[in-house]
Amino acid sequence: MIVRTIELTRIYRLGSSHVTAVNKVNLEVNEANFVSIIGPSGSGKTTLLNLIGLNDKPTSGKVLFNGEDTSLLSESERRKIRLQHIGFIFQTFNLLPTLTALENVEIPMSLAKFSQKEQRDRAVNLLETVGLAERLQHRPKQLSAGEMQRVAIARALANKPSIILADEPTGELDSKTGCKIINLLFDLCKNQKIAVVLATHDERVTEVSDVTYRICDGSITLE
Amino acid sequence: MNIFFSGDIVVVARGSIVIQAFPISGGNLPENIVDEVKRVEGVRTVVPMLVFFGHRLEDVIQLVPANISIGIPPERWTILVGSTPLKPNGRWPSANSSAKEVVVGPSLADQYNLRVSSTIKIKNYNLTVVGILDTRSTILSRAIIMSLRVAQYVYLPTHPSWINMMVVEPKEESMEKEVAENIEENIEGIEALTADERNEIIEPLLSDIEMWNLGIRAMLFLLSMILVTTVAIMNVSERRRDFATLGAIGAPRSSIFRIVITETTLIGLFGGLLGILTGTVATLLLASLYTNIPFTLFFQDLFDIVSPIFMVEILTSTVVVSCVAGIIPAINAMRANISEVLRAEY
Repeated sequence: MIVRTIELTRIYRLGSSHVTAVNKVNLEVNEANFVSIIGPSGSGKTTLLNLIGLNDKPTSGKVLFNGEDTSLLSESERRKIRLQHIGFIFQTFNLLPTLTALENVEIPMSLAKFSQKEQRDRAVNLLETVGLAERLQHRPKQLSAGEMQRVAIARALANKPSIILADEPTGELDSKTGCKIINLLFDLCKNQKIAVVLATHDERVTEVSDVTYRICDGSITLE
Repeated sequence: MNIFFSGDIVVVARGSIVIQAFPISGGNLPENIVDEVKRVEGVRTVVPMLVFFGHRLEDVIQLVPANISIGIPPERWTILVGSTPLKPNGRWPSANSSAKEVVVGPSLADQYNLRVSSTIKIKNYNLTVVGILDTRSTILSRAIIMSLRVAQYVYLPTHPSWINMMVVEPKEESMEKEVAENIEENIEGIEALTADERNEIIEPLLSDIEMWNLGIRAMLFLLSMILVTTVAIMNVSERRRDFATLGAIGAPRSSIFRIVITETTLIGLFGGLLGILTGTVATLLLASLYTNIPFTLFFQDLFDIVSPIFMVEILTSTVVVSCVAGIIPAINAMRANISEVLRAEY
């Protein structure tokens, strides 16, 4: 098991009122599992992914990563886990605009202190895998939305993560391109044995998911 | 500080303003006063001189005159120019005052394309250039040196036996200060200034300039720090998502801090280089405008006007300022709450 959450809760304080974004969530993600979390906007999907991805700390409950209680880890240890074991894909791609596709993919490897040659070879290889062999030197502005998301996927794969967290990865794409991206993530999940947790409101994802959770007002149910 | 007549006494009419050993304003003296000074105890030699600064604007005292005409008795040139040589083919003006010959400084020669045997016109008199000084001295490079008689003839045609300064060499066994006091005690209406006294005259001016310089530098230092900090804060706040993304993919805080500091330092480096370039050009333009000396002539002595050490100081200080100014924005970027920034994007 890669990730397990126990009674995971995140409450935001907005002035005098409290908003429970994630409410006592228990879920499990196993190796090479394609997990979808389906829910409408504002249901707590992004907050849940941020908690699983160790970008945020829960108000109560725990996230176990490879069996280790992450609430006991320091910020730098959490960053280390993110760098080495977790790949992120965002709805708005979040590529660095001044860097080329190749350089964007190289960033995580550079942070993980790969050699220059390793960085370059692996980045080229990953971009070829996602079908962007001809777009290596293009900057994000010169790419279509689908291409940008492919670069983001290649970046997420850079440090050979055990899990990829994808937050509405098709939200900015047309349905045809969205389908291609989902299929690409599914293939990567099965071929490279990487767990994928995909948060979306797109019901079609359930067709390819191994496990589907539904989230509403911060609470999830297993389908 | 005084590079002219060091160890000698400069005698001028009382009330004259003396800068760098030369009177820039004040009265003239009858030439026969030279004999009176010679009789004062401790005086070895007296060299009478007639000096006129050529200002572009009338009645305006300029620290950097467009040119300076110096009349000095023939064979006494060395007291003025020391061992400064003349450029090839040149010679010093002859003792014959009817020859109307001059030696000019290299900057003037370049500006007016003067060569040996060229003619220049001053106050309707044609003077022949017989030599060009080979010097980098600011004053001598703009000098027109001629015999005292020619200078008196050209500049004081109605009072042809007047001078406006004397350079007094004390006897070897005499103290400069004592001789100066003796001169002032024995002759009325004059001031005898030792090198120290001449320095004292310009010291307040130099210290004022130094104070202004320091004040302006401190203000620029503060302003550039505020400016770089503001630019860096804006830059960081516009790129919050980029830094949050880097944090999300596991970039250590130290890396994010380093990125911002490197960026602000580079801003300082390029800003400093640009500042030096525009500052130097502006300085030369102002100097050219102020003195009427062509802009291009200043290029030859660029590093005398704006010293390389000063340039390095400016560059170092701008880099240090921007590096320090980047600290607050770098801390902001480093401490950004990743989940809040990323959530705010949707």
